Amino acid sequence: MRHATCSQCAVSGPLQTYFAYNNQIYCRDCADLLKFDTVPGAKPVDLIDPTICTRCGADNGDSEYPRLGVLPFCHNCHAYVEANPYPVWLKAGLAALLVLLVIALAHGRRYFSAGRQMYIGEKLVEEGKYAEAVPLLKQTVQIAPGSDKAVLLLAKAALLSGDPITASSAVEGHNHGQGFEQDTDLQEVNSLFSRVGSALEKVKKATDLNTQSGKAAEAATLMRQAADEYPEMPILRKSLPGYEAGVAFEKKDYDRFLELEQEEFRLLPESGMAAGGVASALACKYAVTGDAVWKKQSEDMLEKSRLLSHSPEDQKDFEEFAERTRYRLETRRIIDKPEYDRKFRSATSQGQH
Amino acid sequence: MFFIPGFVIAIATFPGVIVHETAHLFFCRIFKLAVYDVCFFRFGNPAGYVIHERTNNFRALFFVSMGPFLVNTVLCILFCTAAFLPVWVLKVDDYLAYFFYWLGLSIGMHAFPSTGDLSNLWQVAPALAKIGNVWAVLSVPLIGLLYVLNFGRIVWADLGYGIAVGILGPLAIFRALARA
Repeated sequence: MRHATCSQCAVSGPLQTYFAYNNQIYCRDCADLLKFDTVPGAKPVDLIDPTICTRCGADNGDSEYPRLGVLPFCHNCHAYVEANPYPVWLKAGLAALLVLLVIALAHGRRYFSAGRQMYIGEKLVEEGKYAEAVPLLKQTVQIAPGSDKAVLLLAKAALLSGDPITASSAVEGHNHGQGFEQDTDLQEVNSLFSRVGSALEKVKKATDLNTQSGKAAEAATLMRQAADEYPEMPILRKSLPGYEAGVAFEKKDYDRFLELEQEEFRLLPESGMAAGGVASALACKYAVTGDAVWKKQSEDMLEKSRLLSHSPEDQKDFEEFAERTRYRLETRRIIDKPEYDRKFRSATSQGQH
Repeated sequence: MFFIPGFVIAIATFPGVIVHETAHLFFCRIFKLAVYDVCFFRFGNPAGYVIHERTNNFRALFFVSMGPFLVNTVLCILFCTAAFLPVWVLKVDDYLAYFFYWLGLSIGMHAFPSTGDLSNLWQVAPALAKIGNVWAVLSVPLIGLLYVLNFGRIVWADLGYGIAVGILGPLAIFRALARA
């Protein structure tokens, strides 16, 4: 160990506890009392004892340790400092961090996919391609049912592509329709829901009226209003001829009745109900003319209706009106559903003419 | 502006402190600078440090000082990218995603070089830039900007930086990938 003497107080001590400033040496006490600002830019510098290891403090007597930069280190510390080894826990921590990063990126993949579907869906909505946007946004909402943006986009796209059921279930899945941020998107969707709700209410009333005697004209008017109010749902307009056919039936204008039922079937060629309507009209023609050609056509149409009725609900509907149509073909008597129900059934089933 | 003691912030964001000091150490090793002492985390100010050999190589000084800024920023963007969509856009209650977002923000918040690091660079960069040192010329604007921003720590500029990087970075990446 080397020693130094303070230029101020002449006290001697270990060299590495002294300071150099402006070519003078100071002990710590004197250095604390001095203001080191007499020489512009100069700063007090710690003195280095080359016989003391900087890291472990080992004293090498009078021999100097080799330096690394300006600092002296003993053999062991020299090797350690030069190697800068990473601690084992740090290596383990960094490995864990990398593993976590891989997990994070893998975990985020499905969200990325959902986000991407929403991003593309949003563009499609902006371009007015609502029907194309719905399946994409549905996938997003499946993963993120609580996302205001995804749910409102899906609701908007679904409502504007005539699919209110998807819109309703998306909104219901968002905390039972609650907790949306109040913004213009929500206002727009609310306004769409209220327009669609009003139209569907009319559809419901029209459907109810259509099962009652003498109400066909009122039902058709309501259905026309609903179709005008919600033009994005094409099925409403396509169903109109069926309702107008009811008016013709009530007026006993069976030519017009047949014409309108055929028009409805042309618009809804996959509908067993529409095919059944044609069969019913053909049966009326047979009833009033007795021409077996109408009967044969009616039976053919009834068979077509049966084949088109796939779902249990459709099959149930088919059984109901097929029974009445066969009655008409067998008896050549034309009675409407309420009267048929009164005569032959309890008055709970549904159907038309 | 509310005050939160530094040690509380350090504890809450300790991964960022460790990554910051590790980045210093990493670049010291890359440029073969002797490291006299390292503290990866402690309850004090600063929360961590690396004391290394002085160097006249500006490129080495730049990377050792700015290494954490680069490493922490990249890691912040990567972790936050993985968690950005569920946390910010899709609003999914996914606790793992929130954990990754916290990790990303913790690391991003400690991206800022310390005042000491910036002072070391600022002392030599302008003079070296004047004599045409390319690294100095390129780095002076960044060092200057960070030097100024560093004073903003008092108003949470470091947290602001972490959040900005943790939102804007993933957003940019998502937009670029979503278009592809």
